Amino acid sequence: MSDESQLNVPEKRLLTEDDMKLWKASTTKQDLLSFIEMLAQSVKGHENEQIEKPVSQAITSTETILLTSVEKFIENHPVPDNTKSRFGKIEFRDFYDDVQSHSIELLKETYPSLTDFQTTQLSTYLIESWGNKRRIDYGSGHELNFLCFLYGLTQYGVFSLETDSVNLVLIIFIKYLNIMRILESKYWLEPAGSHGVWGLDDYHFLPFLFGAFQLATHKHLKPMSIHNDEVVDMFKDKYLYFGCISFINSIKTSASLRWHSPMLDDISGVKKWSKVAEGMIKMYNAEVLSKLPIMQHFYFSDFLKCPDGVTLPHDSKEGNIHDEELEEGLSHVHNTYGDCCGIKVPSAFAASEANKKTQRRIPFD
Amino acid sequence: MQIDRTISLLKQGKHITEDAVYALCLKSQELLMTEANVTHVDTPVTICGDIHGQLHDLLTLFDKSGGVEKTRYVFLGDFVDRGFYSLESFLLLICYKLKYPDRITLIRGNHETRQITKVYGFYDEIMRKYGNSNVWRYCCEVFDYLSLGAIINNNIFCVHGGLSPDVNTIEEIRAIDRKQEVPHEGAMCDLLWSDPDDVEKWSLSPRGAGFVFGQNEVNQFLHTNKVELIARAHQLVMEGYKEMFDGGLVTVWSAPNYCYRCGNVAAVLRIEDDLQRNYTIFDAVQPQDGVGNAIIPTKKSQMDYFL
Ligand SMILES: [Mn+2]
Repeated sequence: MSDESQLNVPEKRLLTEDDMKLWKASTTKQDLLSFIEMLAQSVKGHENEQIEKPVSQAITSTETILLTSVEKFIENHPVPDNTKSRFGKIEFRDFYDDVQSHSIELLKETYPSLTDFQTTQLSTYLIESWGNKRRIDYGSGHELNFLCFLYGLTQYGVFSLETDSVNLVLIIFIKYLNIMRILESKYWLEPAGSHGVWGLDDYHFLPFLFGAFQLATHKHLKPMSIHNDEVVDMFKDKYLYFGCISFINSIKTSASLRWHSPMLDDISGVKKWSKVAEGMIKMYNAEVLSKLPIMQHFYFSDFLKCPDGVTLPHDSKEGNIHDEELEEGLSHVHNTYGDCCGIKVPSAFAASEANKKTQRRIPFD
Repeated sequence: MQIDRTISLLKQGKHITEDAVYALCLKSQELLMTEANVTHVDTPVTICGDIHGQLHDLLTLFDKSGGVEKTRYVFLGDFVDRGFYSLESFLLLICYKLKYPDRITLIRGNHETRQITKVYGFYDEIMRKYGNSNVWRYCCEVFDYLSLGAIINNNIFCVHGGLSPDVNTIEEIRAIDRKQEVPHEGAMCDLLWSDPDDVEKWSLSPRGAGFVFGQNEVNQFLHTNKVELIARAHQLVMEGYKEMFDGGLVTVWSAPNYCYRCGNVAAVLRIEDDLQRNYTIFDAVQPQDGVGNAIIPTKKSQMDYFL
């Protein structure tokens, strides 16, 4: 398979610890991390309201056309009142379908300067930003897709880091986060790959990271302040970090923070927000960008190049059984499978036979 | 007796020394080693679903269902990951198993593996509580010896996840060499990973392991093996339990308010001598600050980022 054809549609590539070594040493990863760091640095000392003016056309369009449309899709798919035994609400799949089927047209409307090729590259990340359709779950890997989407737009010259970085966080990311909060609570998204009480948060990482930078220069607020309900309430709309704490407290009402979130409790013992901010970058690098269970779902593309030597897509199990189809919500076994691998139905058997010796991704519990 | 002291410490969520954990794990391996892949269990018996380290709720479970002194139990796996007390929950069950070997059957869940506990919290918990991974390793050794299933009065088949296209008869499960890390595919993997759903035939699972199976597969399994019920866990159910396929399969979930956020109730299923099914529903208890080992003075590895 030539490099050219691999770029037509973004692809998942990382499957083994050897792949991870190549990825960790890659300039792709370094560039992505630098992007996140630059965004974080730009909001140092900023309250949520302290956006950069004037606001560029690209930021305004992203907010008022793209994200507002996504928000409207949610309104189109209410959850009926009857109680369902399973956790995730299946109406999420209809919302997801709406995003998926409108993504190209929305991207063209929002960013008229993009080529068709660029739009295709970006749409994968946009679609992946809202969670997994079939499993009805969401985690920091999906959140990373949204960052990749913004990264791609920056690479394609839609955003400029010099003029847009503050607003990318304080307007665009915050709006994205607000939409995610609605999706999480409306459709009861399951936390994907969550470490339970032993993780930073069920769903998110970046609002803590950006949030710690916002507070890094604050004169009075200390990391310990997250335990003070009055302070949390006063600052929840001013700083992302306090917003996150307030959200967690509102969901997890049956116990105190030290029980349901021992990690946040630990971090509150750090003396200065600037230390928390530095630590968040290190932790994001180690616990998100360097973790196979998350990165095995990472898409490489025109603007996020896969490092040389990484497992080719056809060496992977999911490469063979068409991940997209699986995530499409295939519940009846695909008819095309037998054709493509020359093995007759039932394809379940075929799938396990045909891939005995290939790599597999770590499953979702 | 040493084990009684350990049980009492565990119930309070107190720290167990590395050496004590090692000794417990070794003893329970010896015991579990002698058990079959599919254990025979007699009625009356209480079937319990996922626990996920929610020790306080596990104690409530015993409280509400008679307790191990008076009641027989089958646990369907997923003792560890996500909750605060995975270690204590698992060790408590192991202690009971050692103390009352015929009173309690422990079936392996998909979380009782090295790969999954490294991702979903148990490994993190051990690192935070002990500062090294030894205790995690000891426990993983025990996981390899847990049963794959149980059969109650030759009539109810118990398993963590569900069915496998590679398994037609319960006899075939007995032939599996279970003493290993759970493989990525095949019968042993599917038993721990599969889910029931409204599907026509074997389908791929969105989890990336195991399969999705429907009424046809369940009917065929029940018929072939002359059993009337498949009791499994593995999926959160808001009402604590859910029967499907004309009562041929039940999902039992025993972790209330899962992860402090799901708002679900928990259930256990008691099977009487006449095979009547009685469900007991229970709610989450509120953990109290200032008891147990909530914050114990050990090295907090994840805090290295913030030094
Ligand atoms: Mn499970």
